[in-house]
Amino acid sequence: MTRASLLRLAGYLGIALAVFGSPAAAQDRIVVRTEPGTPVVSQELLLAVGPADEPELQAGIASLTARAVTSPLRATLDSLGAHLEVQVQHDALAFTLTAAPEVWEDASRALLTALFRDPADTAAVARERARIRGELEAAEANPAAVAAAQTDSVLYGAGHPWARPAAGLSATVATLTPADVDVFLRKNFTPDRVTIAVVGPVDPVEAKGFLIGRLNAAALEAPAPPETHPGDGPVRREFGSITAWVTASYRFGRDADVEALRLLALVVADRFEFGPTSRALYDARGEVVRRPGGGEVRFTLVVPPGEVDAWAERLRAAVAAVADAPLPASAFADRVRRFRGERLLALDSPEARARALARELLLSGSRTGEPVPTDRPTAERLQAAAKSLQGPVMVYLGPSVNAGT
Amino acid sequence: MLVLALALAGAIRADTLPARADAARDAPPPEVAVHRQPALPVVALRLSLLADDPPGYAGAGHLFQHLLLPSLQEQVRRVGGRVSIARSADALVYTVTGPAAELDYLAGVLRSALRAPVAGTGEMLQALYLVGEERSAEREIAPQFMRAALRSRLFPDQISAAGTDAGARRLEVAKLDAVWAAMYRPDRVSVLAVGDVQADAVRRAFATLPDAEAQPAEALEDSLPAYGGVPPEATRGWVGAAWPADSAAPAALSVAARLLGDDLRRRLPGAQVSAEHWWTHEGQALAVVMAAPARQLPAARAAAGDALDSLAAGLDSAAVVKAAAGLRRDMLFSSRTPEKMAELLGGFADRAGDRGAADAFYAELDRVDAPQVRAVLELLARAAPVRVDVPPQRLRPSP
Repeated sequence: MTRASLLRLAGYLGIALAVFGSPAAAQDRIVVRTEPGTPVVSQELLLAVGPADEPELQAGIASLTARAVTSPLRATLDSLGAHLEVQVQHDALAFTLTAAPEVWEDASRALLTALFRDPADTAAVARERARIRGELEAAEANPAAVAAAQTDSVLYGAGHPWARPAAGLSATVATLTPADVDVFLRKNFTPDRVTIAVVGPVDPVEAKGFLIGRLNAAALEAPAPPETHPGDGPVRREFGSITAWVTASYRFGRDADVEALRLLALVVADRFEFGPTSRALYDARGEVVRRPGGGEVRFTLVVPPGEVDAWAERLRAAVAAVADAPLPASAFADRVRRFRGERLLALDSPEARARALARELLLSGSRTGEPVPTDRPTAERLQAAAKSLQGPVMVYLGPSVNAGT
Repeated sequence: MLVLALALAGAIRADTLPARADAARDAPPPEVAVHRQPALPVVALRLSLLADDPPGYAGAGHLFQHLLLPSLQEQVRRVGGRVSIARSADALVYTVTGPAAELDYLAGVLRSALRAPVAGTGEMLQALYLVGEERSAEREIAPQFMRAALRSRLFPDQISAAGTDAGARRLEVAKLDAVWAAMYRPDRVSVLAVGDVQADAVRRAFATLPDAEAQPAEALEDSLPAYGGVPPEATRGWVGAAWPADSAAPAALSVAARLLGDDLRRRLPGAQVSAEHWWTHEGQALAVVMAAPARQLPAARAAAGDALDSLAAGLDSAAVVKAAAGLRRDMLFSSRTPEKMAELLGGFADRAGDRGAADAFYAELDRVDAPQVRAVLELLARAAPVRVDVPPQRLRPSP
């Protein structure tokens, strides 16, 4: 740290203390990872706003507000050569900004101003509403998206805000007005809900000082996640598709061994690769989804209609097998070798690392700056992680899925 | 500020290792360059072989890549890595990306790509099909057709990476090791590593390369593809124009292309416009490819005709500075992963034969000014442009 940067930080802190009294809270919501060899700076801003803040009849207003306030920003960002992505999650809106080192502060300043100072532009609201409606209508006709939404609905229980798609419903989005957006913006888009990760060739003191100066508010106490009421038994939903979807969601709690669960997702999905025993399987995926207070390991199989029960049973058996006995040493070593590589490559862009760090900070408060845990899961940890899972919640979607009952 | 430039200056040049002969090996080691990027324990290894397809066997290089790709993918998947192939006008390129701890394994995978593939009938038919599809796309899909047609007129001796139908027929029955021997020379192989690795470790990993093991195939006559006849069917009309620019300063030509694209997009708001700087060892050109609805097609044709004059009339220093800054930022953005950084640095090096070429170009962009861009426009205006035009498809109601 240079003397100049120390003085600058002292200046930022002094201003923030004088005006707002508690800058440390803002500092706790920022993580900076300095990477001298990385050519750009990526900033992930998570705004803890989502379906839990939306009236049910306004489902999707968080997504619409996020896109409407950032839409007029595009021209400014283009002129800076900066790139902005907006993603909607159940527990937060994610703004990923990537820019050249010499302009990232300008780009970040423009984004923060758009989020917390500018009113929503009426034309932008209308434009984004039309776009979002189109996207939602497409998703509502897509069996993969419908299967995911149906699983959320069963996993969280009727009436839970996370049971709805994070981006809302086409029918509710269609009714939203610029005035609705303006009210939602003023009430919910506030700096006290922000978590930020910055990755790139930046001075950590300067970067933090810059952001603290603009997030000058104490952190909002993280709201407890709404209580969930998972449904019982497999849920079957008829859908006019050619293939059928089987999803199995296994829940885990706050203290779960998440890295071992990620490995579990790979190990189980591997058992369903195309081969002599899986010739009729079209796709198999496993993923870990973390949310405040825990999360889920979700498996998705795409299978021929009429075979959902058989494949669901194989899926349950595959997870149970890992819980029952550790994998043979050579098979485990092969899986860990591949798992480690895939984990690293999933983080090979600065924006991916910023996303991982911001999520970790939001969910656990961790500010280690390391996007991947350094310890490797062991066979025993894998088995213990599989044993610790609750569930599963099963959903079958497709043509004739009730025929198997 | 100029991270890429600084990083390249500090790492590429310092770690570039000259090829060293070693009598104990089958072939000398390749030139190895390392760009240290320690952000994550990952490495991208880019291996390039500077080679034209042997005369009479157009498409051979890309066919070999497709023959090898499934095996490379299977090997790299074991360590959670990725592999990509590219056939540029300059080189055959293989890139593997994976954990830095697997450097030796990944290097072994890449070295295996330097042996003639042994293909069964099924593998050969599959690879021929894939390359054939790429060849068909250059005739049947408007954007690819436009570029292929413009290129064939600008650089008549350059055959597409996908080759020719005649070349494919020969390759189907050819001795692959002989065709490979006509392309492969160990001294034309270079390796670029980007990531959390040391130069010594990369040099050790590529200490030996396989030698060519067969007599090279006899040179035969190539048949050049013609892009005349029936154009592809498209719902919009397509207009293409390209100007040869071999002697233009590359950075100024890139800036001119960006400004030309911006100017045409302003003039034709309903059209899709792409202005590109084409640059291979064969030469340089500035190409414009536009798609427009039928009603806007006359305006698009006119705009292609007076594009250079229009840009020259409105050229100012501020726009040049902004365009150059935009190109520099695009370079930084497009090189933000080890794999993409290797692609960018390696592409420049293959073309120029100079490991510092990307760095030099990046620095040169910073010095481009309005007089240089004006000089490029004057140079282009003196050249004879090539034009390609594809009218929109006419849909007739069924009787």
